Amino acid sequence: MKKLSWLNKLVFFTAIILISCWNSSLAQAITGNSPVALFYQANIYYQEGKYDEAIEDYQKIIDQGQESGNLYYNLGNSYFKKGELGLAVLSYERARSFIPNDSDLKSNYDYTLQRLNLEPQLFGSWFERMVDGLFQIVSINSMTIFMSVIYIILIVFFILNLLFSGLRRVFRWFIYVLVALLICSGLALNRQISYTHKMAVVISKEIDVKFEPLENATTYFKLNQGNKVLVVEKVKNWLKIKRFDNKLGWVSQDALRLVIF
Amino acid sequence: MNKTKKIIRSFKFLKLSISFLLCFLSFTFSCFAKEISFEVTVDTNKVSLGSSLQLALNFSNAQDISALDLSTIEGFQTRYLGPSTMMSIVNGKVSGSITHNYMLLPTKIGSFKIGPFKFQHNGDQYTSNQLSIEVLSAQAQSSTQSSTSNQPAPELRELSDRLFVTIQTEKERAYLNEIIPLTIRLYVNRLGIRDIQLPEFSHEGFSVAAFDKPNQYQEVRNGINFDVIEFNTAIFGLRPGEFKLGPAQIKCNLITPKQTRSRSPFDAQGGFGANIFDDFFARYETHPLDLKSNEITCAILSLPQENKPIDFSGALGNFEFEVTAAPLEVKLGDPITLKMTVNGQGNLNTVGVPKLRSVDGLKIYEPQIKQEANKKSFEQIIMPMSREVKEVPAISFDFFDTSSGQYKTISRGPFPIVIINSEKEESRLVENKQIAPVALIKEEKFGRDIIYIKDNPGPLKKKNDYLYKHKIFLGLQIIPLLFYLLMAIFYAKKQRLKTDLKYARGLLAPRKAKIGIGQAKKYLAKADMQKFYDTLFLTMQEYLGDKFHLSSKGITISVIDEHLRKEKVAEEILVKLKDIFRECDMVRYASSQLTPVNMRDALNKLEEAIDYLQRKKT
Repeated sequence: MKKLSWLNKLVFFTAIILISCWNSSLAQAITGNSPVALFYQANIYYQEGKYDEAIEDYQKIIDQGQESGNLYYNLGNSYFKKGELGLAVLSYERARSFIPNDSDLKSNYDYTLQRLNLEPQLFGSWFERMVDGLFQIVSINSMTIFMSVIYIILIVFFILNLLFSGLRRVFRWFIYVLVALLICSGLALNRQISYTHKMAVVISKEIDVKFEPLENATTYFKLNQGNKVLVVEKVKNWLKIKRFDNKLGWVSQDALRLVIF
Repeated sequence: MNKTKKIIRSFKFLKLSISFLLCFLSFTFSCFAKEISFEVTVDTNKVSLGSSLQLALNFSNAQDISALDLSTIEGFQTRYLGPSTMMSIVNGKVSGSITHNYMLLPTKIGSFKIGPFKFQHNGDQYTSNQLSIEVLSAQAQSSTQSSTSNQPAPELRELSDRLFVTIQTEKERAYLNEIIPLTIRLYVNRLGIRDIQLPEFSHEGFSVAAFDKPNQYQEVRNGINFDVIEFNTAIFGLRPGEFKLGPAQIKCNLITPKQTRSRSPFDAQGGFGANIFDDFFARYETHPLDLKSNEITCAILSLPQENKPIDFSGALGNFEFEVTAAPLEVKLGDPITLKMTVNGQGNLNTVGVPKLRSVDGLKIYEPQIKQEANKKSFEQIIMPMSREVKEVPAISFDFFDTSSGQYKTISRGPFPIVIINSEKEESRLVENKQIAPVALIKEEKFGRDIIYIKDNPGPLKKKNDYLYKHKIFLGLQIIPLLFYLLMAIFYAKKQRLKTDLKYARGLLAPRKAKIGIGQAKKYLAKADMQKFYDTLFLTMQEYLGDKFHLSSKGITISVIDEHLRKEKVAEEILVKLKDIFRECDMVRYASSQLTPVNMRDALNKLEEAIDYLQRKKT
């Protein structure tokens, strides 16, 4: 009995120390200039209708090198309320790489596009469109984990194939399917990574896309805020962009923002 | 015998070669030792404008004279045809000559002197003779051939009067992006022209369309009849300023009849001796020509800023604008098709989509654009999304009229629309069926705005910290692969043990020997000599049998000697093993009494031998 009471005491004190440590770290996390504190402060500004202040605080978190889907979602909402719909689209697009399945995000993104008289734009061949559709459901990290799981299962099947020689024919079929799945998901992930790194959103109200990277060059076509483009080349302050219909042209880099920056 | 014949044959060949070489050298020296004579000849002294003649520069007693540059002969265009060499041996005297041939195309009528030409060779200067050529007009020649033409045409003295290119624009001043028709004409007067290429011209500051199919017709110019080939295209200015157009350049081939001398039957080179088919097949010659036109200037004006409409998108020309909208009676959310047509003269590439004013509750889709020769049409779908929408707003099209120099705006509409209730339709049906009307549920209107912000930041993480970039995550991916490789190695080893007996015996030999030695040590401690040597013998026999994949029972001194020598085992080890064998035999069969020192010594020897054999690669 004595031994038990001694053990109880040890557990009790350890729990107290752990709780106090956790509380102190939590307190530290939500005070001062920490990302969490800034986030809550920005939410308060948003509730008060102070969208500029809210944007400033959300932006401070990003400047500290932190990001999350909810953060970009709230930033997008703030820009929307401020009337900067191009920047709202950009923020929602950034949020989509973290929380692609979030119904609130989908709704707000669709509504913003509707306000801009824009339709969702898909780039590239049927495979690329399919991949784009897939990544509207899963994030890049989820796809990476999925690939890792497939890879581990594949290794397990290789080992089983080694150990149970009588079932090799069955295991081989599983191996073929898993290898095909791994290759397809790898290609899709690779395409999505390169695509998101090139994707940019027009933030200026209307921009002229020119034939050459010169101020006085002939205008080829125009782009409106919220339009998505792919950046294919950079020359000084000019970006060569590709529209969803594969039309290429040059725009000033101030008119665009890259989704991954 | 064969060898001797071969030697004689090769000697004869050598003799022949040397004599041929000597002849050749003597011929060469005899050729060039003589003085060079330089003569100029033409195939005819009279030629008509539009025909050609052949000029030959003959260098006798020389064959290494390169062609002279004759590009500056007055009244002629020159083309080098190539050299021809000749050797002759007359009464044992060898002579060689080279002739450089040129084609001369007269560029104007009159009498011209050709030569004298000069050239230097080995420090000496040589001068040719001079020739007179008379170039007649084409009419003069035709009159000699037929005197049927009644009206004498004006005389064209130069080739450039009979074959030339012009470039012309419809306007000398135009606005930026305004279409300017451009015409390039090739004039030909009674000359054979073929292989005419599309014109090229310098057009800095202009954008140029592709040439249309060329037109061909006849035109009388200054009383002279010309065949004209007309190339049409359209250009438009890209920036304001005064720019030069041209010269237009057309490449073609001029076909001229060959001038042939009137041959007498006694002519050494012609006459009856000449092949009659030569005349038939080689009657015409082609001369490549690069014809250039004059230059013209064209001023490009920028569009005036005065009275410029706000929605002006750059359309230039003189246009008509029509709009139709159908159907005008629709249900909520049904599409209305707006057909907008711009037709007329002007740069349709500059015509943008006419602006449709944005109205709340009216969803506007991107238009489909179709462009024809003088017409551009836009088909746009609009969709009333609210009952508040009563009309399609007026649509205006702004353009700059280049003929009047003023901006113009054409407006069409508004088009009133009627929104039909789907309930209404149902009620109509109900009325038609004469059933008592049912109270309809009023359509619920939903507001639309963005969904409220999130109340927590969610899992915050480092910017651009993707899993695929994470070093630890990537490193962990190697573990399953390593595990699989270990399993594969283990499995392969197990399989080998099962299937490869030699390998399995070799692997087990030291383990079994260790157990045997342990057993022998126990007997040594008990001083049980018989059992000790039995165990020692068995251990050695089994070890050597397993190690070298031999039958353990058949291991004897001779077998050890034979096999271990093959394996290049050290002599010292062989001696030790033989000693053990001998001692074992002595105890087992002769009942010799050995001391514990001998037993320990035998055990050590076996341990050393096994240790050696284990370390040695067999």
